[in-house]
Amino acid sequence: MENYLVAMAVFAGLYGLMALGLNVIWGMTGMINLGLVGFMAVGAYTSALLTVRHAHWPMWAGVIAATIVSGIAGAVVARITARLKGDYLAIVTLGFSEVVRLVASNEIRFTNGTDGISAIPGPFRGEVAPATFNLIYLGIVAAALLVVYLLCQRLRHSPYGRVLRAIRDDDQVTSVAGKPVLRFKTEAFAIGAAITGFAGALYGHYNAYIAPEGFVPLITIYIVLSLTAGGTGTNAGAVVGAALVVAFMEGTRFVVAEIPGLAAVQVAAVREFMIAALLILVLRYRPQGLFPERHARHATPDTTP
Amino acid sequence: MTFLATRRAVTAGLALSPLFAPSVLRAQGEPIRLGTLMPLTGAGGPYGPSMRKAVEGVVESVNSAGGIGGRRIQLYGEDSQTNPDAAVRAARKLIDVDRVSAIMGTWASAVTTAVAPLAWESRTMLFTVSGADSITQLPHRGYIIRTQPNSTLQITKLSEFLGQQGAKRIFILAAQTPFALSNKEILEREMPKYGGQVLGQTIYDREKTVFRSEVDQALRARPDYIFLNGYTPDVTILLRELFRAGWTGGKVAPAYAINQRLLDSLPADVTNGAVTWAPSPDIESPAFKRLQALLGTNDPDPYSCQTNDHAALAALAIAKAGAATGDAIRENVRKIAQGAGERVTEVTEGLRLLAAGREINYAGASGACDFTDNGDILTCPFRYEQAEGAKLKTIRIS
Amino acid sequence: MLSHVIEELPQLIVNGLVVGTILALPAIGFTAIYAVLRFPNFTVASHATMGAYAGFVANVWLGLPIVPSLALAFIVPALSGLACDEYVLKPLRRTSAATGPMAAAIAAVALTIALENVIRFVFGNDLRGYDLPVYRDWRFDLGFAFLRVGPQQVENAIISVVVMAGVFTFLAFTRTGKMMRAVADNPSLAGIKGINAETVARLASLIGMGLVGVGGMLLGLDTSIDPLTGFRAVLTVFAAAVVGGLGSIPGAVVGAMVVGIGEELSLLVLDASYRTAVGFIAIIVVLTFRPRGILGERAY
Repeated sequence: MENYLVAMAVFAGLYGLMALGLNVIWGMTGMINLGLVGFMAVGAYTSALLTVRHAHWPMWAGVIAATIVSGIAGAVVARITARLKGDYLAIVTLGFSEVVRLVASNEIRFTNGTDGISAIPGPFRGEVAPATFNLIYLGIVAAALLVVYLLCQRLRHSPYGRVLRAIRDDDQVTSVAGKPVLRFKTEAFAIGAAITGFAGALYGHYNAYIAPEGFVPLITIYIVLSLTAGGTGTNAGAVVGAALVVAFMEGTRFVVAEIPGLAAVQVAAVREFMIAALLILVLRYRPQGLFPERHARHATPDTTP
Repeated sequence: MTFLATRRAVTAGLALSPLFAPSVLRAQGEPIRLGTLMPLTGAGGPYGPSMRKAVEGVVESVNSAGGIGGRRIQLYGEDSQTNPDAAVRAARKLIDVDRVSAIMGTWASAVTTAVAPLAWESRTMLFTVSGADSITQLPHRGYIIRTQPNSTLQITKLSEFLGQQGAKRIFILAAQTPFALSNKEILEREMPKYGGQVLGQTIYDREKTVFRSEVDQALRARPDYIFLNGYTPDVTILLRELFRAGWTGGKVAPAYAINQRLLDSLPADVTNGAVTWAPSPDIESPAFKRLQALLGTNDPDPYSCQTNDHAALAALAIAKAGAATGDAIRENVRKIAQGAGERVTEVTEGLRLLAAGREINYAGASGACDFTDNGDILTCPFRYEQAEGAKLKTIRIS
Repeated sequence: MLSHVIEELPQLIVNGLVVGTILALPAIGFTAIYAVLRFPNFTVASHATMGAYAGFVANVWLGLPIVPSLALAFIVPALSGLACDEYVLKPLRRTSAATGPMAAAIAAVALTIALENVIRFVFGNDLRGYDLPVYRDWRFDLGFAFLRVGPQQVENAIISVVVMAGVFTFLAFTRTGKMMRAVADNPSLAGIKGINAETVARLASLIGMGLVGVGGMLLGLDTSIDPLTGFRAVLTVFAAAVVGGLGSIPGAVVGAMVVGIGEELSLLVLDASYRTAVGFIAIIVVLTFRPRGILGERAY
């Protein structure tokens, strides 16, 4: 049981990292990104390709390369979609992640296709007991989460972060105020994508295996729901929301196991229904998330609870 | 009639559930813990439920015959969601919380490969139906048994059959899977032995809903046989399109793609003549007949046949070892599945013989269940069937 | 090479039109809801599946012919769409004018998973098919190329066109339709004119999801029915709506044709396995020149 809880804490930490990444892009700057899993895949593949498939870099070098490459990918996507607003951006980024998955599936020489990449190294994997490896990795993810969290906190409270929030609330006013909105948006998108790619790389090294099928939009949905449930705009909300989503996904297993008289497929259906329903309930009854952003927007004071 | 099928499933679930209820189990000492990790949602969804029922059938018959050495089997099940991310979390739960000694029925190759390291690191046996050749090449130290034939076996058998049918010009329409390319390469290598050739292959995205132009690409090559290397949902669309396009030549697909459900969902005109092939026990095999009765269909799909055997192999290996651990299964699975022992096709019969100290050689609903050292099935007879009037008729076994 | 392209071109275009006419209906439903409610209602996926199953129940269990079955494929998702919006999405949109629409869109994603699993709970994952004969295609010799067209696909296209004509007539000539357009074009002005935005919003959900359901059934006629039927098409539907201009009903039709034909023509240069990417490349190309889609966002 401890081993399981540790493993789920690792997953929650990785989801939390990605939620922090999304928070920079969406929560702070107001650009919705439904292609998050695409950046996660870029990160995971970059590190896997460099540490096992095409070269044998050490893991830390792979992870750094992954962070840089996904940051660049983020900047490129941000430039291409610069003129798009809200719902258009949502659908285009969703498409981006599907294109990443298609490339990973079809460029077999480069990515090994749908076979995926296995034997991705992890620190001390194989040298220590699986339970110890789990604990070591939890330590790494926890440290990574803490560092990224602190960086994101600094970003949020810095003058830079205030510009981002100003862009979120009204980019035209910000532009008139003389800020290069496009540059800020591109940078924010790149930072968020880099954090997501960083998490993706850590994800690959933890599971030792990645495949295109693992990077489906469902994961984006979980991250978006994490951030929304936790409190869009706040870094603490991103982390807590991710833990909550993993708790929902895992807790439901134990609940549905107690329902008598259902076929296996019905049990699975009930479980997925429950996860979705719980998330909807959170959105409904804590619309600002569990950690609402304290700096209420001046434009809409009537919506502050 | 489909409504009735659903009702039956519900009643079956009701009838089974008391057997798995913990209160009943605790009466008899520590239960033997086995796990299933099947695709109940996601792209593998059409296959998972029946695969699970095939396992439940074995567990039920073992338990009602008094269990293994007086211990009942307790079955834990999780949904792989046909997604490696979800499957890894589910496997962690099966291994670390439920402490199962075997995980049965992983379907998608990506799921199996993702779960495999967890299995061998925790000394848990993994029984899979995945087709990717790479799976048994993983450094699994014997913790993987794969009942699905690998590309070489599968395609060599197909080539043999196509050669005998006089097929000369073959075109492949394949879903993007880990075995699409290797299947093509093996077919290209084998067909010249029979004077045939592979004209080309179009790989399609199986999440699309229309494949008209892909079918046109196939027809333009002027083949005499088309090999549909996909899964039930996409092969349904391809068969319909081939019929519309006026195709009258040969069509062949894996038996897991053209199964009874596909035949029920399409008019017979569309499916008539389609050939399938799969590893097979002999047609009169009692194991196969029992599975037919259990699943209420004349043609249990190959994956359900295989998971039925996964459960039987795990149970028999545990009985042989006298211990319910992953290591015990790993050490003993070949001792009960192959060799000179008495041929057995039913799990309770096998348990009885093992209890009497006899050697056994299990052959189940999916075939002989003889395995190589790295966990692949050894060569075995294949069953070739042809659709006629929405039913599959066996044309030969060889 | 060129002769080969000329030979294939007519067939690819016809195939693309066939795909486009089927995609058009769910795209219209999606975009119509967007036009009035101003958020992307991602429950399109499971409502298309629901339509396919409703049609299946009518056609196979109740033994009705296809066309009357389409009525059920409209009604069931329409009522479900209305209920989902009333009880789940509308309260979320109301919580905040600024974040509400996106919260509702995200809740819609969760909701579509929930609905998919309700369908799975009731029907299981087994593949279903309609009770419908399949006919050989008609073949035409164009001199430089052969062309094949399927009677079933022509029938689907006709059904789709008739339904679209119905929608346009409704929007153009009925009082309610004009009200809907007024709200879509300028909600506050419509309010001043005394149009009840609530009623119009309900109608939009009702009709929009109904159309999605009919589209889902048409899709099921050509593919197979399982709990993921709608999901397989939904990315293309979104692409179609965006290419045409979110909120523009004629735009959805144009977008569906562009994406449908574009996906087929891409086969001349790309592997079939990259088809899904084509819709998104089309989006990028179109939006680079017209950031609000081919026909912009005016509803009609």
